[in-house]
Amino acid sequence: MRISQQVKEETRERILAMATQLFLSKGFEDTTTRDIAAAAGLATGTLFNYFPSKETLAMSMVNEALSGGIEDYRQRCCDDEDLVEALFLFVTSGLRRLRPLRPFLGPVLERSLSPFPRKAICPEGESARQEHLAEVQNILGRHGFTAAPDYVAMTIYWSLYLGILAFWANDESPQQEATWALIDYSTQLFVQTISGTNPCTGAGHAD
Amino acid sequence: MQTDNNGSFNAATLERLRRVLPKDRATDPTGERLEELLQRISSQKVPVGSFSRIWLLGSLQAKVTCGYLAYWLRSRFADADQKDVLKNEARLAAALQLFGTMGYLRGAVMKVGQMLANLPEVLPEEFAEVLAALHFQAPPMHYALIREVFRDEFGKEPDEVFASFDRQAFAAASLGQVHRARLHNGQEVAVKIQYPDIARTIRSDLRNLRILLQPMCMTKDWPYLLEKLADLEQMLEMETDYRQEARFTQEIRELFKRQDQIVVPEVFEDYSTRRVLTTEYIPGCHLDEFLAGEPDQKRRDHFTHLLTVATMRALYRKRFLLADPNPGNYIFMDDGRLGLIDFGCTRVLTEEEEALQHEFEEAVMAGDDQQIDRMLAKACYFDDVAEMEPERLRVVGRGARWQMEPWMKEGLFDFGERDFFRRGIDATMELGRKGYSRGAPTWIWANRFILGARGVTYRLQGRCDFRKIYEQEVKR
Repeated sequence: MRISQQVKEETRERILAMATQLFLSKGFEDTTTRDIAAAAGLATGTLFNYFPSKETLAMSMVNEALSGGIEDYRQRCCDDEDLVEALFLFVTSGLRRLRPLRPFLGPVLERSLSPFPRKAICPEGESARQEHLAEVQNILGRHGFTAAPDYVAMTIYWSLYLGILAFWANDESPQQEATWALIDYSTQLFVQTISGTNPCTGAGHAD
Repeated sequence: MQTDNNGSFNAATLERLRRVLPKDRATDPTGERLEELLQRISSQKVPVGSFSRIWLLGSLQAKVTCGYLAYWLRSRFADADQKDVLKNEARLAAALQLFGTMGYLRGAVMKVGQMLANLPEVLPEEFAEVLAALHFQAPPMHYALIREVFRDEFGKEPDEVFASFDRQAFAAASLGQVHRARLHNGQEVAVKIQYPDIARTIRSDLRNLRILLQPMCMTKDWPYLLEKLADLEQMLEMETDYRQEARFTQEIRELFKRQDQIVVPEVFEDYSTRRVLTTEYIPGCHLDEFLAGEPDQKRRDHFTHLLTVATMRALYRKRFLLADPNPGNYIFMDDGRLGLIDFGCTRVLTEEEEALQHEFEEAVMAGDDQQIDRMLAKACYFDDVAEMEPERLRVVGRGARWQMEPWMKEGLFDFGERDFFRRGIDATMELGRKGYSRGAPTWIWANRFILGARGVTYRLQGRCDFRKIYEQEVKR
């Protein structure tokens, strides 16, 4: 019997919802695919038809959140931001979407977004990275960087971004405000590096 | 400033630096050793603190500041034996390096350094300006960052919270910046927004400051200095909660009636949180702009009178020391009223401290020198005058008596008199040079309060009947 596309979609959503609950209550490491399948009322084998691994499952959540973040960014963008502000807004929009998943994200991001080349690249992680960097390129393009940024610039950006994610995942300050300060510095640093100048950051102090 | 990329000097800069660095006649007549020390520090990179954007020791001004701090700190252990001197030199080098990583206190330390660089020829005008610049400063925030702070604090964007919101800040505040906005009912407001996680930066700066002052650890007063730094830290941390400032503002606002001509802005609680403070906007100008308009003596005296009434009433009615010396906290309004803003740095005296203050005032006004000495000893944590070194008693007494001069004069007191202000500088400097820091931490705030206000009234060149105001306010 072939199940309809709609049922498939519903099952996928159910798995994601159950997995989120379990990750939040038991943590990512201590949750098994068997736990998730049981909670979703599926055989473990069936679960694998939807998600080949626990990492892929978690990264699907991350992917969806980050895609939502890109949408939010585009909506919130006023087009009068300078490059530092635009990048800042972009990064924070993504983090706001990721916030509900934060309690279990550390190990997920570590495994799936590692900058080290691995044999089995997590396809979900790779697509999250591609989508994110494509938007960064768009932003740079809109701010006058017409030549495609080379791999050095993108590697620097990605390293800073992973650093921000890692810091944020463990940030104990109220509402992760320390991360906002870190993003502020990181975006300034990046723009300074690629443009070779001191970035103008909009609001200077009016002493 | 001319420095090459790795932050060390080129020949021309080196020559300029050599000329301006202090020379110690006995141990370092050419200033060579100091220069070596600075070279060593500036060629070593240290990890930059959480929000330093540039390695500040790269600038000549920072190097001069460092040079003078080094010179001053060294004089603390001039009498120590060779081994201790070497140990302290190493500490000093490490400490000065950290100076470049300070994010929040650096501005204040630089100002002190600039002043030290002009010693002993510091002019009263320079001193007053340095005092004015001694407030702390957070880095500027762009609008995208402000939006995130608002979403965390109100769950909304600034444009949604207010009917209109100026994206450009109109003033810097000690922990953030101030924007103009309008409420939906048309009320013009000033919105103070705090830089995220500034408390952490303050803590790390104070840790660095403690290390910077390490060379003084051999002095007898070291533990008292540590106690004062701990108090400073606590105050600054308190300042990071704007709800506390909102309470101070409301309490002080209640002290003044319309006829007092002193205005404290209304706080809008629905628009205020731990990190955002929304108050009524007070139109007018700051001290520099006021002075640029060359006001006549009558106007200068008028504002000096209001300033004295305002600070005294807060002190005697509420036991509040308004300890922030920033002249930006005073607004000179066109209609002759004085606006008072920014009460973050308000130190509340304990009842005991207040009683001590009263006792001291009475002793001073009665001219009872023995009682004055007894009280100075007490303030410096000595059980008895006999326990106190005579030199300490003299230096501390000189400063305290200068502070009390306005209490002793009937009729108009002229705060603009150069000699008066000069004596205050000399007394303060001597206290600093001798490194006498033994005493209750409250004295930092009292000194900051008095010197801050005197700096402003000196620049105002204003007069008022201080004694009469005192008698009125203390009785109320």
